[in-house]
Amino acid sequence: MKAITANRLLDGEVVFWKGGQWVERFGEAELFDTDEPVEAAVATGKGQPTVVVDVYPIDLIESEGRWAPLSYRERIRALGPTNEPTHGKQAEGGDVVEALRHAAGAARSTGRVDLIRRK
Amino acid sequence: MYQYDVIDREFLIDRSSEFRGQVGRRLAGEITEDQFKPLRLMNGLYLQLHAYMLRIAIPYGSLNPTQTRRLAEIARDYDKGYGHFTTRQNIQFNWIKLKDAPDILDKLAEVDLHAIQTSGNCIRNTTSDPYAGATAEEIDDPRVWSEVIRQWSTLHPEFSFLPRKFKIAITASAKDRTAAKVHDIGLLLRQGRDGTHGFEVIVGGGQGRTPYVGPSIKQFLPTDRLLSYLEAVLRVYNRHGRRDNIYKARIKILVAALGAEEFARQVEEEWSKIDAARADLPAAELARIRASFAKTPFETLPARSEAFELAKAHDSAFARFVRNNVRAHKQPGYAIVEVSLKAPEQTPGDASADQLELVADLAERYSFSDLRVTHAQNLVLPHVKQDDLPTVFAALQAAGLATPNIDLISDIIACPGLDYCALANARAIPIAQDIARQFADPDRAEEVGELKIKISGCINACGHHHVAHIGILGVDKKGEEFYQLSLGGSGAEDASIGKILGPALPADKVATAVDQLVGAYLNVRADGERFLDTYRRVGLEPFKEAVYAQAD
Repeated sequence: MKAITANRLLDGEVVFWKGGQWVERFGEAELFDTDEPVEAAVATGKGQPTVVVDVYPIDLIESEGRWAPLSYRERIRALGPTNEPTHGKQAEGGDVVEALRHAAGAARSTGRVDLIRRK
Repeated sequence: MYQYDVIDREFLIDRSSEFRGQVGRRLAGEITEDQFKPLRLMNGLYLQLHAYMLRIAIPYGSLNPTQTRRLAEIARDYDKGYGHFTTRQNIQFNWIKLKDAPDILDKLAEVDLHAIQTSGNCIRNTTSDPYAGATAEEIDDPRVWSEVIRQWSTLHPEFSFLPRKFKIAITASAKDRTAAKVHDIGLLLRQGRDGTHGFEVIVGGGQGRTPYVGPSIKQFLPTDRLLSYLEAVLRVYNRHGRRDNIYKARIKILVAALGAEEFARQVEEEWSKIDAARADLPAAELARIRASFAKTPFETLPARSEAFELAKAHDSAFARFVRNNVRAHKQPGYAIVEVSLKAPEQTPGDASADQLELVADLAERYSFSDLRVTHAQNLVLPHVKQDDLPTVFAALQAAGLATPNIDLISDIIACPGLDYCALANARAIPIAQDIARQFADPDRAEEVGELKIKISGCINACGHHHVAHIGILGVDKKGEEFYQLSLGGSGAEDASIGKILGPALPADKVATAVDQLVGAYLNVRADGERFLDTYRRVGLEPFKEAVYAQAD
């Protein structure tokens, strides 16, 4: 399973793709189980340079019956810094945040799936 | 502190207004991200994991109360109520919005602060001794020379697009509090036999993926020739530095490839071609800058303060604070006070807006309106009367700023790591908190003595792990956060690069491993030896044994 993420240009906020829109909560992100729509959505996102920067797909894993980013880095992006539990998206709490917090594995490299750029 | 004149102020206002225009064009889609990124970086604005991060220079680590209060205001209005002091005398705000950045730069310019050249392949903020003007050790005030370099290097047309970033440090004391030997250029001010002053010039030190203690390429550079010599060094680097490979682009790689002797020869050759009358600072301009650092109007006081001695004798917490956080001042009756930003559970180097305002007040009332920032991510009140120390201590204590741990095991340097940084592979802050928790007992920390732990979340080494007594480097090992320990580094006058202890450890084993290292040290240390001294005497083996024999 995959999702698509980016940072919003105006404020740097981490955002996720949801059917043509960018949303702030990972829990609302559109989930993809095939590659073609991911590529199409990433291409659309990259065509919005005044809305978002650094658009890329991420791998997901199951955690507590929900989906969570595979990589630690992406979970921190989806939650906020672990040293300040009231800062960032995690401040809202809830089931999705808990599932993200309890997901395990993958510090950085295996979660972002387009690190090697093919031209 | 250097006083901005009309030209300096207009310059900052122009620069801020230029950036406002650039942001406007980016938001309107008139320039691309690739075109905009180098412009925002030249103004200290990075895009990190959760938001933009703004890095603001604190030249020679010196702040006045007005500036400190302005930083508190920015923390409150544009961030989440705090700022993070870095390992190079800068402050970073972690939650900045691009749309607010031009307003913030305006507010900084109003108090003579800026973020110019805190990123990009240019000459960065010059690191200097946080005890400048206060320590008896120094032979001249290094802030004067830092300010000379700041003015010379700001928007220097020839050196704005170097092969890679360029960092200079200056110390005028034998004891180095700037990590000068692991900078691109380290300037160590010396007194010649004839009483004149000159710099020993260290070039090509650095950390990152290829750490070096820089070699000395000139033993005694007369101070009035500083700028032409720097120009020669930068010109050789600018010409021959590797622009083809970002990992080999720092000056340290060039110096290592050529050898220090050949590099020095090329610098001398270049230097001989430079017209000194054009390149070197006119004496009148040096005098103008020096006058800004005119002597602090100290009172004539007895060397011994009865109030201070009495408080020390009756309050053991105060006595402990004095032992660890108070240093000798050159002026009788005064003291240098270190304000620790390493309280238990605190993020190393973080200060809240309230804390910033409190230290601004204390600096104003008790330290001639002078506040300093150290590369070890702490603050300094440089000129406090001994009579006032009990009052200052009480105020710091009430704000959680009196942790008596300077240079002790819980005074840990840590980069923001994977909690904030887009480059990091692993977190650094929680590891620092784990270790501090392990050594929370202040008696034990004092028994262990000076022990500098430094943690970086990736090989770029912002956390200075290569020059730590115990260095910790976060790595991504098969998708998990792991930590590689190294021993025996030092960023001080006895600079050295640490050696890797053994295989990397998982996060939950790091604090235990540090405990085992400390145990091994206490077992074999001789009288008066610091951890580093013991390591240098006995080598890696007993420490390796302590950590890995039990880990099997």
